[in-house]
Amino acid sequence: MSLATKSENEVQKVNRLEVTPVTRVDEQEAAFTLTVELPGVSEKDVEISLENRTLSITAENTVLSFTDRERVLAEIPEVRYRAAFELPERVETAGIKAAHKNGLLILTLPKREEVKPRRISITAG
Amino acid sequence: MRAYLNTINNPWRVLDELMTEFPYDLLNSAWRTRSGHYPRVNVWESEQGLVVEAEVAGVDPEKLEVAVDANVLTLKGSRAQADGTKSEFQRSFNLPFELDNENVKAKAKNGMLTVSIPRKAAAEKRKILIENA
Repeated sequence: MSLATKSENEVQKVNRLEVTPVTRVDEQEAAFTLTVELPGVSEKDVEISLENRTLSITAENTVLSFTDRERVLAEIPEVRYRAAFELPERVETAGIKAAHKNGLLILTLPKREEVKPRRISITAG
Repeated sequence: MRAYLNTINNPWRVLDELMTEFPYDLLNSAWRTRSGHYPRVNVWESEQGLVVEAEVAGVDPEKLEVAVDANVLTLKGSRAQADGTKSEFQRSFNLPFELDNENVKAKAKNGMLTVSIPRKAAAEKRKILIENA
């Protein structure tokens, strides 16, 4: 309680409560898809960086604030979302793409050519 | 892949949710949720009416529905799941006053739904003059 209240009222943007966003990873034939839930976050408030094989995501949400209204339910604090992922060797880091839609950050992590499934045809001997 | 799995089953999220949701429901008895826990909301009240913000990441704005019936506000929608199925959600609030369902404004951006609803105009008050006998 005290921590949640503090993050909203006093600390503000300088020192927000840090939370890990809800994340999902799906695997397709040619790529992994990493979906991160970032509700209330504009594109300009998302930062994605790659250092060696560590992919880091930080983001800040924006919530409405009024001086002439009373807040009667407060469940959404101002937070900093932070997540880091150790990418496996099979990901081709140069080809990573990011999209942003309806509060979701969708990263496409293509697999390296040599790990994509391949069909091997049999040549008649 | 271990790092991915740890994030999906993130234990801190549970704590975050407890910390942000639990105390407010107890403190605002007039604002008790009637049903449902998702989506999370911030609600602002004034003489004019309400502003509600709801976190709806991944929900297509066309799949969102806001309904007002006297003093009950309902947020409804459906989300596409990873496996292609849909998950429906609904959350209703009992409000301490009646709302004007003719003038609801709603918009969705960046996975955040913002709804503003004016209060229902109160029945005209009649002043009764007391005569001096």
